[in-house]
Amino acid sequence: MKKEKLLEIINTIKKNRNEVLINSIDETSDLRNDLGMESLDLAELTVRIEAEYDIDIFEDGIVNTIGEILNKLENKR
Amino acid sequence: MNILLTGISKGLGVQLAEKLLSNGHNVWGLSRSKSEKLGQLLKKYPNQLKWLSYDLSDTNNIRNKIFKEWIGLQTPLHGFVNNAALAYDDIVTNLNFESLEKMYKVNVFTPMMITKYTIRQMLLHHIKGSIIHLSSISVHTGYKGLAMYASTKGALEAFSKNTAREWGELGVRSNCLVSGFMETEMSSTLTENQKNRIYKRTSLKKATEVESVAETIIFLLSDKSQSITGQNIHVDSGTI
Repeated sequence: MKKEKLLEIINTIKKNRNEVLINSIDETSDLRNDLGMESLDLAELTVRIEAEYDIDIFEDGIVNTIGEILNKLENKR
Repeated sequence: MNILLTGISKGLGVQLAEKLLSNGHNVWGLSRSKSEKLGQLLKKYPNQLKWLSYDLSDTNNIRNKIFKEWIGLQTPLHGFVNNAALAYDDIVTNLNFESLEKMYKVNVFTPMMITKYTIRQMLLHHIKGSIIHLSSISVHTGYKGLAMYASTKGALEAFSKNTAREWGELGVRSNCLVSGFMETEMSSTLTENQKNRIYKRTSLKKATEVESVAETIIFLLSDKSQSITGQNIHVDSGTI
């Protein structure tokens, strides 16, 4: 469920930048290298995840993969 | 527009708030205490004006108390005016660290944290917002006793310029309003003699009008200034 929501959020950002949408993501997807997200995109990703789950994923360090984000969301619960 | 304004209870803050409210904007104002004038505005504009008592030396509760519980993530923010400031004046050899630290919290650290959450709020709502930091002519023209205070404003000018560079591609703008000495409580500790010496260094030979500063801030908040970012706009009676 969370993975689908994440994909939806990422595509919202892609759409805002007029970039090609992503079809699927998995735990190993790298935010920068595989999903082509830059620092300002990641800032928007952080904010949208915060609005949805009330957690700041970058608050205590760099996050690289979808799996790491999902872990943070799980640990919060 | 929804505008977040610090230091709303007195001086420039309360006049700016009144102008914004009468122009139909919503103002989210922060100050430690409620002045009589602010109380009147709250009565006159019960829907447009929101007020929260907050001590800006508290750098730890900005996200929770200001953004989460009070403004709310669902509120689109169009502008942030960093107006509140502490003026701790003394000659450098008397520098007191606690006073310096408190001034840096109020003038620099908290405004930087508020900027962080303001930009995040703008990102969430896709708003090409405007951030304005009140700076001081003391950054550009030295005055005896203002070295510590001027250093906090110099920090804001550097922060603003770099914020503008960083967020410009998403349309978020950041500027500093470099104000001359106004006849407000902020400069009330100065003697007439000191004031006259300050005004002599200006082209217009007089104090900076609060009205002129407030109108320039409203211009910088609006789309009329859409191509202006990363700048220090001097409203200072032509200080030379």
